[in-house]
Amino acid sequence: MNLIRNFSIIAHIDHGKSTLADRFIQYCGGLSEREMNSQVLDSMDIEKERGITIKAQTAALQYRARDGQTYALNLIDTPGHVDFSYEVSRSLSACEGALLVVDASQGVEAQTVANCYTAIELGVEVVPVLNKIDLPAAEPERVSQEIEDIIGIEATDAVRASAKSGIGIEDILEEIVKKIPPPQGKPDAPLKALIIDSWFDNYVGVVMLVRVVDGSLKPKDKIKFMATGAEHLCEQVGVFTPKSLPRPALHAGEVGFVIAGIKELKSAKVGDTITLATQPATEALPGFKEVQSQVFAGLYPVESHDYEALRDALEKLQLNDASLRFEPEVSQALGFGFRCGFLGLLHLEIVQERLEREFDMDLITTAPTVVYEVLLKDGELIEVENPSRLPDPGKIEEIREPIITSTILVPQDYVGAVMTLCNQKRGVQRNMQYMGRQVMLTYDMPMNEVVMDFFDKLKSTSRGYASLDYEFKEFQTADLVKLDILVNSERVDALSLIVHRASSQYRGRELAAKMRELIPRQMFDIAVQAAIGSHIIARETIKALRKNVLAKCYGGDITRKKKLLEKQKAGKKRMKQVGNVEIPQAAFLAILQVSDK
Amino acid sequence: MSVSPLQFQRPEHLTQLSSLPPLSLYVHIPWCLRKCPYCDFNSHVLPQGSEAEKLALETRYIDSLITDVELALPSIWGRRISSIFFGGGTPSLLSPAALDRLLLALQARLKINPDAEITLEANPGTFEAERFRAYRASGINRLSIGIQSFDPEKLQRLGRVHDGEQARRALEIAGQHFDNFNVDLMYALPAQTLPQAVADIETALSFGPTHLSAYHLTLEPNTLFAAQPPAELPNDELSADMQQAIEQRLAQAGFEHYETSAFCLPHHPSRHNLNYWTFGDYLGIGAGAHSKLSFHDKIVRQMRVKQPQAYLEAIAAGQPLQTDHVIAADDLAFEFMMNALRLNHGFAKSLFHERIGLSISAILYELDAAQQRGLLTHTAQDIIPTQQGRRFLNDLLAIFLPD
Repeated sequence: MNLIRNFSIIAHIDHGKSTLADRFIQYCGGLSEREMNSQVLDSMDIEKERGITIKAQTAALQYRARDGQTYALNLIDTPGHVDFSYEVSRSLSACEGALLVVDASQGVEAQTVANCYTAIELGVEVVPVLNKIDLPAAEPERVSQEIEDIIGIEATDAVRASAKSGIGIEDILEEIVKKIPPPQGKPDAPLKALIIDSWFDNYVGVVMLVRVVDGSLKPKDKIKFMATGAEHLCEQVGVFTPKSLPRPALHAGEVGFVIAGIKELKSAKVGDTITLATQPATEALPGFKEVQSQVFAGLYPVESHDYEALRDALEKLQLNDASLRFEPEVSQALGFGFRCGFLGLLHLEIVQERLEREFDMDLITTAPTVVYEVLLKDGELIEVENPSRLPDPGKIEEIREPIITSTILVPQDYVGAVMTLCNQKRGVQRNMQYMGRQVMLTYDMPMNEVVMDFFDKLKSTSRGYASLDYEFKEFQTADLVKLDILVNSERVDALSLIVHRASSQYRGRELAAKMRELIPRQMFDIAVQAAIGSHIIARETIKALRKNVLAKCYGGDITRKKKLLEKQKAGKKRMKQVGNVEIPQAAFLAILQVSDK
Repeated sequence: MSVSPLQFQRPEHLTQLSSLPPLSLYVHIPWCLRKCPYCDFNSHVLPQGSEAEKLALETRYIDSLITDVELALPSIWGRRISSIFFGGGTPSLLSPAALDRLLLALQARLKINPDAEITLEANPGTFEAERFRAYRASGINRLSIGIQSFDPEKLQRLGRVHDGEQARRALEIAGQHFDNFNVDLMYALPAQTLPQAVADIETALSFGPTHLSAYHLTLEPNTLFAAQPPAELPNDELSADMQQAIEQRLAQAGFEHYETSAFCLPHHPSRHNLNYWTFGDYLGIGAGAHSKLSFHDKIVRQMRVKQPQAYLEAIAAGQPLQTDHVIAADDLAFEFMMNALRLNHGFAKSLFHERIGLSISAILYELDAAQQRGLLTHTAQDIIPTQQGRRFLNDLLAIFLPD
């Protein structure tokens, strides 16, 4: 066990984590040159395209160190985005150490700080690495200082490396061997293995990524899940190099996969402890917090008969994404669909994209919203995650909205702009700390404001330099109202929003104006109104088209003209009929395009 | 005894016509002096060459048209021709002698009704106008003149070869030789104002046409205008106002608005075009010409080889068809509606069954839906688009489009 090192890499997006991981794999010979497809650990198409890591992945590496011994290094890759921070803590809890990779030209970012704190809390040894050292803009001294100032760990001796050019790779591997402690565990005690992650594979069923803490596990063992009590026969164990490589057994301290012929992902819950049925452990390992959905949105098929197909698609996605929640929902405007819960906006976007791309679904997504606590006059407290379900104002005592504490790291030049933005979003400043050239701002902010477009705005006001991390703080009473949109006097439930009273007038006007842009002119005038209760606060008219007719149609034209009409009709079919008005998909997300005053 | 597989098909899937519709002849002349940027018809710039070479090409084309009609005879055996239309391209590029030879050849091979309407499309160039008299003498009894506009600036922007003066002159000459002629005009032209649009109508009326077509300039796919839309096109509001003003002015002048873009003095509709819109049959000969022909058990659409040179070769090989297909039963109702609903007076319900062999009750659901949306009315005998239905004909037709 002394020759095992389990570690992960903490880094901000683009700071070179995946490239570094690739270098390690290459250096230790995990894959041949031909197999070194760019960024091997990111296997989903979306991961490769967006350059982000969504699911944790692992690689078992054999490293012959300078002391002459060969070490088994287990790299457990972690996602970098705030939406997936829960996956980070899971990965970290399987490790004894973590490399903190910081771009030597960019410095420390908020997400990195948050993940670092998580690592320190979990008692994981953090080893700093300065990456991209060969860039002309690299400032290793300043960034080392920043690491010490912001994170509070010794960083003067941090390895200076360039994953891209292959500089310092061996030095980092040496640091891992030297600084990260070997795993502790009792090889002879009853089996205790923590499920770090699990996913569904079409060929073998559920694959579990586990960290063996005590004991060992081999095929033909009868295993037992301590939370559910379910028993299964272990079929195969092994490690990822990152190719899957079967092993005769997994021993204490090791990280690897287990396949046990399990059909349903929920039987292999992440955070559960696996033990042996014949010789069970007495106590389970501490698991993980249940993940809570933070952002909700309605997903509806454009064609109502695709409802079942959408359900199937969501179920299939859920096989690999336990954090995706959904339940059937009916909208007057959109028909049958699903209210889905997501970890954050990126998660929503990814799910939406996968549904469209992998399942060929044509979707209407409603504006993302958060969950509200509503205290009724009769004392009952209910949760509302769909604005159209907000009870009648007469029955409401108060509405409480979720407040998050957000930590923003931003270069000094942009502090003013970012503070203005936070104020616009009803943020309350809690702290402001100068750390070298960067400033750490702490704001309490309504989450509702953040899910709309805060992240995009933050990036644009800071030219991409500001970084954000947040965590839920509490529910707070606020003066909130429901803003409705009426199309030809018909309330379109899928367009309702919960907004703060102070910005309701403005938002209503802007939203109505936006709808006028997005809804194409039709055969008749269309009135778009914004209303709070029965009070109309804005009105726009979409003037009727004057005509829609082909000027010419003679003998030879039939086939061509018919195609034209078919095209027109297909275009309309992609819209949703609400009453007699055809509303395009984009209109249901119009609120995201409404700028702040 | 073997059983014909046809017996296993449900009878409603077979077209069954009790009588064949009227039959027209369309003759396509594919060449133009130059290609107009808005035109999506099968027209080609006349190849450069000496007079002798041009004459040889003309002779070969006329010969090919004659062979074409001979090859087509079995598909229209015994049927009478109720109208002939020479379209293009620019049919008035044909020399009077060539046209005369062609007409004689057609008369020798086809049963043409004695009162058949025989129309020729003409360009208002000086060169063409001089031929009008000869065309009349050959038996052409109706001219359709592609004026488009009298405004020299607009004509230039439309890429037309003629100018306003030539346009007037051509109409004057047409009036001398033809008591029945049509003027094609376009509106919603680049930078056109409402008074300018009405002025073009006014000018056209002063020459006494029996028929006027006023087309909203459309940027058709696969044209130069579609790729590079002209600047300063009137917006929807203005062009709709133009349409309204044009309709009003023509109504005042005693013209009946009988089809989306067609107006005529009483009893002077284009009989040839009416035959299209009432889902009649037509045999199209010449490069790229379309035919629609009914048989007792099917209705087919055919298109001849499109490229003029390839067409000539195809005729020589005795195989002029590029496409030939039976209209599927599901498409028949839609294609019928696509034509018949263009007529302002709509159509008699009995025509539906006569032309496509289906009962009108096959589209009862769609008719009701259209009526509910205020796009058409149906009485015991007739189906008539409402004014709203005429303006939004595409929306009306979409109801009948098979999914």
